[in-house]
Amino acid sequence: MGIVFDAKTREPLAGVNVLLRGTVRGTTTDTHGKYLLRGFPTGTFDISFSLIGYTTQTIHQISIQPDTALHLDVPLTQAPIQTEQVVVTASRREQSLRDVPVSVSTVTSKMIADRLSVTLDDALRYVPGVNMMSDQVNIRGSTGYSRGVGSRVLILIDGLPYITGDTGEINWETFPMFQIDRIEVVKGAGSALYGSSALGGVINVITKEIGETPEIRFRLFSGIYDKPSYSGWNWYSTPRFNTGGFFSYSNRVGSFGYLISASRSVDDSYRVTDVYHRWGVYSKLNYNFSQSQSLTLTANIQWRKHGNFFWWKSLKEPTRPADVQLDGEVNSERGNVSLAYKNILSDQFFYSLKAIYFGNFWQDDSAQQINNTSAAHFTQLEAQATYTTSSAHFLTFGLAANYDRVNSNIFGSHPGVGAAFYVQDELMPFQSLKLTAGIRYDWQRVWKEIFASPAATSPSQFNPKIGLVFSPGPITTLRASYGEGFRYPSISELFTSVSTGVSQVKIVPNDSLKPERSVSFEIGGSQWLGERVFLDLALFQSDYYDLIEAGVNPNPPIEILFSNITRARIRGLEVGIKTDWFNRFLATDFSYTCTDPVDLSDNSVLKFRSRHLFYASLAANYRQWRTELNFRYVSRVEAIDENLVRLAPIVDGDQRVACKVVDAGVTYNLINTGLPITVGLTVKNLTNYYYVELIGNLSPLRTYYLSLEGVW
Amino acid sequence: MYLFSERKARGRGRNQSFLSILHVNISMCTILVRVMRYLILIILCLLLAACDGGLAPPPPLELGFSGTVHFTPGSWPTDSLINLWIFASQIYPLDSAKVYSGLFSNTPTIFLYPSINESLQPFNVDSIAYSFPLHSGMYKYVGVIQQTSFDLAGQGIRVLRVVGFFKDSTDSSKPGIVHVNDNYQVKEINIDVDFRNPPPQPF
Repeated sequence: MGIVFDAKTREPLAGVNVLLRGTVRGTTTDTHGKYLLRGFPTGTFDISFSLIGYTTQTIHQISIQPDTALHLDVPLTQAPIQTEQVVVTASRREQSLRDVPVSVSTVTSKMIADRLSVTLDDALRYVPGVNMMSDQVNIRGSTGYSRGVGSRVLILIDGLPYITGDTGEINWETFPMFQIDRIEVVKGAGSALYGSSALGGVINVITKEIGETPEIRFRLFSGIYDKPSYSGWNWYSTPRFNTGGFFSYSNRVGSFGYLISASRSVDDSYRVTDVYHRWGVYSKLNYNFSQSQSLTLTANIQWRKHGNFFWWKSLKEPTRPADVQLDGEVNSERGNVSLAYKNILSDQFFYSLKAIYFGNFWQDDSAQQINNTSAAHFTQLEAQATYTTSSAHFLTFGLAANYDRVNSNIFGSHPGVGAAFYVQDELMPFQSLKLTAGIRYDWQRVWKEIFASPAATSPSQFNPKIGLVFSPGPITTLRASYGEGFRYPSISELFTSVSTGVSQVKIVPNDSLKPERSVSFEIGGSQWLGERVFLDLALFQSDYYDLIEAGVNPNPPIEILFSNITRARIRGLEVGIKTDWFNRFLATDFSYTCTDPVDLSDNSVLKFRSRHLFYASLAANYRQWRTELNFRYVSRVEAIDENLVRLAPIVDGDQRVACKVVDAGVTYNLINTGLPITVGLTVKNLTNYYYVELIGNLSPLRTYYLSLEGVW
Repeated sequence: MYLFSERKARGRGRNQSFLSILHVNISMCTILVRVMRYLILIILCLLLAACDGGLAPPPPLELGFSGTVHFTPGSWPTDSLINLWIFASQIYPLDSAKVYSGLFSNTPTIFLYPSINESLQPFNVDSIAYSFPLHSGMYKYVGVIQQTSFDLAGQGIRVLRVVGFFKDSTDSSKPGIVHVNDNYQVKEINIDVDFRNPPPQPF
């Protein structure tokens, strides 16, 4: 037992990972910096203490005697740049970031708070290699325009998939933003551990643990949209606000911990009919049977009501929707219940059992008449075990099974089942060399009607991976990896058969679709340049097979049919430079990603991809003040689907420019006055730059935010 | 002496220590100033990069329709060509009275491009691209009309003859209808003109 504290300020540190090296045992410090490790045998151990932003401290040769409590207080020194952080997504277990053979980026809860990210997609906009096309995530060019038909990036919540059962999409607003501890983004094919949809990468949202002492947290924000410079675009005379907040309370009584939070937000929007109302309730219950056994129940539900803005009327009136969308409204309820049980049987072996139910219900209404509805139920059970013989060898294996059911007037009624088995072995033959190899087998069946044959059968999938990390010294790391990924066609791609209500274009079902597949390679390395500059470089190539695209029959009646028609290759380079000056008085973070996305079926540029991404962050900290300036540049999309623009029709849908957006913010911590509150002023899109991320959708105008955040 | 020397040495030591601290602080300030200069430069570059405004509303659109008039080679008349216009009529079929009222009444239903006072130019070319600004509506008869004599006012429409018209896509003997809307200019309204073989006259 003991306390972990900041070596300079002497303040206790919460959330420090305390790990018994060579075992699977560990714990984290509470809000007072206290930790307690119990129940392991006598002997001599190394114990490591790690926290993002601090240099990992390892205490060697700690002797544990029977019936003797050892008190060990540990100071941690602030690290100039985050390189010693712990991640869990790359190998399904905790490991240091520098031991991962693929590129991984993290977004911490502090970064989310500093940038006032209200939804998860907003928090991902500055991640190197990630490009958000409105609400569609694109990692290194893996995704094009996939609205309503499935994501090529898998998203997880605490390690469990969180993709809607009907359209296979990511619903960003369902995530409890204020309960996020961190987000890990693994780039490249990840199906060897996570299965379908991990074609271009994996995003894992990890929620906060319940602390040891009572805690009240809240955040309130209010933003006001600026007006467009062009009078023709201006449709409102009264201010338009984006306002919201959350409140949470958590406590632990003995072995039982609980957290309950509620959130609410209203976005008046800068666009006609695009108003959003959101309500959310999130709760977490945790019971520690012992130091090595715990059970956690999490429930999250979000209600949402919003206008049906698909695309603008024209570039002359981009803040108004097309006339057919004027009176549409969508109501939705989405949520999940998940259960996680962990048991450390010995220092070398632990297992976990997880289950998740994700329900997704929505209906769109036009002129008080219901048009389309969908109810999707997704359930997954998973068992995973990790066995280690020493700190140089980890074997992870698991089983997963899932059941889906969709009832919809546009997708039909379809049940589906799936099962998977995965295994991964990690070896460290030398101190400086680490090798990883793994493979996953997936099987799936989807039926047109309830278990009526024939099924829409998808071929079973084998997805291997191998990786290598070589660290010749403490300041240099080299890595290489190979992985495969796949994505099963979504229910919407297989079975949609209707005119969507937005236009009279008919979508035709195709239940013979094959899964999309990808093969990814990466070599990279990181290097410290002096004490203040950290450089990371990666070269990558991904090959895609049988990509599903919407083919259009342009002659009346106009039909859209999803088919496996595209073979693609994306090569690229990613560079990241982080600097820290005068003990974080000044910090900078630059990243540049360059890709060459080629449609190999006709040697043309892949549609809806940007070749260049450049992100820059500059931050200054002085006592209770913090200022931050963020810039993102996304090059102009070279090619779009002209048929989509013409047939929808999306007037001026081909109008697009490079994205050049500046966000700025300043915060002040009132801790010196006795109030644990931080006040913030943020301006998003500081120069009121007009651009689109998604064709026919003007991105948000300049918005001024005031925020208050407090923790007791 | 020794003690004095020692004292002096200690004094020198203190001075050197003070100077060392001063030297370190000056170095740090110098580094800070250099770093701040680079960062300010970077910030200015980023702000400048984002100052071009991005998307802008399109320039005011001339509603109407546009296309190309193709002239059959060698068919240009050597005389009897006073003026040439593209016309758009909201009425079809036409007769003499309708043509007259359509052109000259207070509520015209026949419109000429470029204008009644200006002819389509140049002559004796293979083609002319045009852009005909018109308000929204349905134009049932679109074509090219020739003035054959100077006395338009005196002889009236007798000096006018249609030399080509926009054809229906399914029946080339009939005129095609052009729908002009408020959102965009209708394109590819192409007309073939053969002065030696004009189409049947509508009036």
